[in-house]
Amino acid sequence: MALDVQMPILVVDDYKTMIRIIRNLLKQLGFEDIDDAADGTEALEKMKQRRYGLVISDWNMEPMTGYELLKQVRADAGLCKTPFIMVTAESKTENVIAAKKAGVNNYIVKPFNAQTLKGKIEAVFAD
Amino acid sequence: MGALRKEDVAGLITFLENNRERDGSVTLNDVIQLAEEMTGSMRAFLTAVQPTVTKELTAIADEITRLKGEILQLRPNDMKDNQIPEAGRELDAIVDSTERATETIMEAAETIMETGEQDPDAYRNLVNDKMIEIFEACAFQDITGQRISKVVATLNAIDARVSAFVERLRIAEGDDAPAEETDAERRKRELILHGPQHTGEGVSQDDVDSMMSSGAQDEIDKLFG
Repeated sequence: MALDVQMPILVVDDYKTMIRIIRNLLKQLGFEDIDDAADGTEALEKMKQRRYGLVISDWNMEPMTGYELLKQVRADAGLCKTPFIMVTAESKTENVIAAKKAGVNNYIVKPFNAQTLKGKIEAVFAD
Repeated sequence: MGALRKEDVAGLITFLENNRERDGSVTLNDVIQLAEEMTGSMRAFLTAVQPTVTKELTAIADEITRLKGEILQLRPNDMKDNQIPEAGRELDAIVDSTERATETIMEAAETIMETGEQDPDAYRNLVNDKMIEIFEACAFQDITGQRISKVVATLNAIDARVSAFVERLRIAEGDDAPAEETDAERRKRELILHGPQHTGEGVSQDDVDSMMSSGAQDEIDKLFG
């Protein structure tokens, strides 16, 4: 997969400020087509309407968490190839293992900086 | 405590023996007579046990009075009506002030990001103005710190009262009633929702990066069978 700054990105977080932070960081990295959703349910609906090049999701949201969203995306034949990065304050070993087993492409622990976000996005598309 | 003796219930036994051969029809008079026989047969027994029962009921009443005193020492109404709501108001104010400060800082940063540098003097003035706004917004930390101190003091006061209550009632740690898992707790467990970890707890980004590499994952899988 090649990294394309034109690709649409879906940012999923129930905290508006975090969406704003990630959106600004992505803009700084050259991405312009950025959409957002407040939880997994809204994200899944948007993903069924539009093909995103990357999903960046928080874990702890209601009603559908990012972990549930990841599992549903990987179980859906039409969405399962979508690159998925978890950006979360959930930093226990079991969370990382569960996300890896569920098929996450990369995992960023909050708080994070622009360099980390850039590095993980590049790593996902370098694989 | 005295036990029932055969002579105490002789009337009742006679009544039952006299009616052994009766068919299934029972009149209201039969029931009343049976009740009278039973009451009569129990009178001597109740008279014998009354001092013991009275003593035990008095002891229970004393214990209830003592417990009521202990609960009053806990000042539950003060906690429910004043301390806990006040702590809640402080926390709401903290959320509100941090939100406003974040909004101000992000707006300032976004304005700087979106402004062109065609006019260097205008750009420098704009950056200076926005930096001052950011410094001003950061003042929230001082007030927030004071509010958090008040909440911590409230929690400490409640903790002290509850601890003293537990000590006076001589409740051992193992005496806690088994806690039934709530829906919220089950959701947290099933969806692995731990929330943010404290410094030094949880894994760092470097640890995560190691775990995300395939070799490390194999090692982790071995640990979990």
